[in-house]
Amino acid sequence: MNIESLKLKKISALWIIVILVLFIASIVLGILMRLNQGKVIEQSPLTFYTNMTTHGLTMIGIWFAAGMVAVNYLLQRYVKTSYGVNLFAFILTVIGVVMLWITTYAGKFSTGWTFLYPLPFRDLGSESWSTPLFLISLTVLGVGWLVWSVSLMAQILKKYTLSQAFAWQHFKSNASVETPPFILITTVTLIGVIASLIAAVIVIILYFAEYFSHGDFVNDALLMKNLIYFFGHTIANEMLYLGLAVIYEIFGEVSDRPKWKMTWYISLAWNCAMIFILTAFFHHLYMDFVQPQALQIVGQLASYLASIPSAAVTVFSIVAAVYGVKVRWSIVNLLFFLGVAGWVIGGLGAVIDATISNNIMLHNTLWVPAHFHTYNAMGNVLFSLGFFYWFSTQYVDKLVLSKLTKYTLALLIIGGIGFLMAFYVAGANSIPRRYSTYPVELTSGPYLAKVGALFASIYLIAILIFFYNIAKRCFVILSASSR
Amino acid sequence: MFRYFICFFTLACFSFFVYANDNHSELREEQNIYGKIYNAPLHLSGSSKVTSVESLYSRKPLIVALVFTRCYGICNPYLLQLSENIKQLQSNTDFNVLVVSFDPRDNLKDMTNLAKQYRLENNRQWNFATTDSINEFINSIGFNPKWDSITQQFDHDALLVGVNEKGLITKNLLGIRTVDDLQLMIRSIHNVFIPSYRLPTKSNIFSCFNYDPKTQTNRPGLGLLFVALPAIITFLIVIIIVIKSKRAAA
Ligand code: HEM
Repeated sequence: MNIESLKLKKISALWIIVILVLFIASIVLGILMRLNQGKVIEQSPLTFYTNMTTHGLTMIGIWFAAGMVAVNYLLQRYVKTSYGVNLFAFILTVIGVVMLWITTYAGKFSTGWTFLYPLPFRDLGSESWSTPLFLISLTVLGVGWLVWSVSLMAQILKKYTLSQAFAWQHFKSNASVETPPFILITTVTLIGVIASLIAAVIVIILYFAEYFSHGDFVNDALLMKNLIYFFGHTIANEMLYLGLAVIYEIFGEVSDRPKWKMTWYISLAWNCAMIFILTAFFHHLYMDFVQPQALQIVGQLASYLASIPSAAVTVFSIVAAVYGVKVRWSIVNLLFFLGVAGWVIGGLGAVIDATISNNIMLHNTLWVPAHFHTYNAMGNVLFSLGFFYWFSTQYVDKLVLSKLTKYTLALLIIGGIGFLMAFYVAGANSIPRRYSTYPVELTSGPYLAKVGALFASIYLIAILIFFYNIAKRCFVILSASSR
Repeated sequence: MFRYFICFFTLACFSFFVYANDNHSELREEQNIYGKIYNAPLHLSGSSKVTSVESLYSRKPLIVALVFTRCYGICNPYLLQLSENIKQLQSNTDFNVLVVSFDPRDNLKDMTNLAKQYRLENNRQWNFATTDSINEFINSIGFNPKWDSITQQFDHDALLVGVNEKGLITKNLLGIRTVDDLQLMIRSIHNVFIPSYRLPTKSNIFSCFNYDPKTQTNRPGLGLLFVALPAIITFLIVIIIVIKSKRAAA
């Protein structure tokens, strides 16, 4: 094994172990939140909100990182990537996450993962140092990820021209150079990731400016909300696209099917997705009456247009790949297949919510966590778990679909669906999100929270088994030598 | 010389006003919003029974005006403006007005006379009342009149309080106001959303929109550019990478 590729494998294995450990810890926080909402345990509101903030930020961070790890690993097939930058991002991520957990648990920082203005400056019961430390932790994470994304983008553009990276030559018949779908989706996604991280940088600068100005400079709540959702909404969506890039690259391979080829419609769909995903975040501001109506309409249209082309093309491609042909099913392609289903179902829930007339009813109800948990916990997580399995079994063991694996998958599906249904039913019943406990009028709230906690625990058992299987192989990779 | 004296004198008078103004009102319109109004027992003019604030607001949303009958200052013009404004309303009249005296010297007869002064004594929408729990009542609103023993008058704000059918304060109006402002208050007591805009300040340079209270328009501000900035910077980064890669290849 050559030393460069071994280094990449080792750093990827290390990422995977850290991501899964943090995932398990964050699921436990999620279950504690549901138990508190279900009145099974009693936490102070401050503890609930520190748990919620830690859970949200950690989950978004780790699943973004998981997508980047996978893309970085597979990109090596086409271009040379920098091990140094990958390691740099890893170190900054670990430092950033440790600082973040100190901020939330020692500093009681509890604004929610969207840290909407002016909450970080309000006395929510947190220590005064927690706000600057929180901003520093975001800076550390943001710098690491921005350098990483720009570095990967630069490597792609060293080999492919800009128009090739966007696969524009495929709009004509007889394209002279073929752009692999993986390269197109990665390029489109990295652009969105870079834009969202720059939005985060601007938000952090504006927060620091107000913090140090001692009242001479005050931020505009509408600007901060726009920028925070530019960052938050966009990165949360782009991390799904990183997972989809991986599926386009290895689904065929693990299923004994031909690799997906670039076509004009794949190129068109993903080019459109890039533009629309950057403007869909306006749907988070429907309730802000000062936001111009034109932007609200852009928000609704972009939400439809961002999801439909990429979803339609991906679903079509994946169904075409498995329909009526013999497929070698393994845990990897099963996870990918189920993940795409979760992504589409969650996406439909999101489009329902992004429709202005529905949003009036569903805004800030549990419908919101319902849909984003669907395409995360039963979508993106499955994409990355599929990759982790594939990655770990490539060097140690073989991909087999044992009985235990099937049962584990069944637990994951049962647990995941039950946990999500409790959110959907509550959302449809107008139970608000982000309540540590529900008022007595909302009788179904605590009951559904208990159901959610029960099923989330089943999901957690499945994840623990997956963790054991993946981590033990990753440890073997970590201890491997180049000889 | 005389001109300078006049100028100096005018400035000095003006500075007294500023001082007086500063000293006088600590009340702000956004104060106590969604606080519950105190359920004081009321003696209504024209009725011998004791009723309560709750029995009024639970029937219809309320607009509460705080006055005292011996006022030489704001109370009369303020009540007059309110009654004129209400007359001008064509729709949205589904509310009651409660005029309460905060002066312990006022009795029901004084309040009946006050009602007569405005020819409102038989208007069922208007209720003139006194209460024995005035301190609790005004504290729940945040209204704080100060007794001036020299003038034998209360130094107080002209305050109108909007109360919804649950007894929650939804809007305050300070000073003598137009019918448009009253309309906003009426919408708020019926739990209809009313927009409010922050006034531009020097410390707020990156606003997405700047509200001009004179023209009541909202103009795009510098902040809107910031919303587009991430996309613009990304575009520039990609262009720089492309140029660098081309140079490296050459
Ligand atoms: C079984 C696993 C999980 C459980 C039990 C869980 C539970 C929860 C709960 C109870 C909330 C608060 C809901 C409320 O608003 O009342 C929440 C919020 C959230 N979760 Fe999860 N979750 C899980 C998986 C995930 C995953 C995989 C992600 C991936 C991105 C995620 C991201 C978030 C985010 C971003 C929030 C919003 C936090 C905020 O409002 O600040 N969760 N989760």
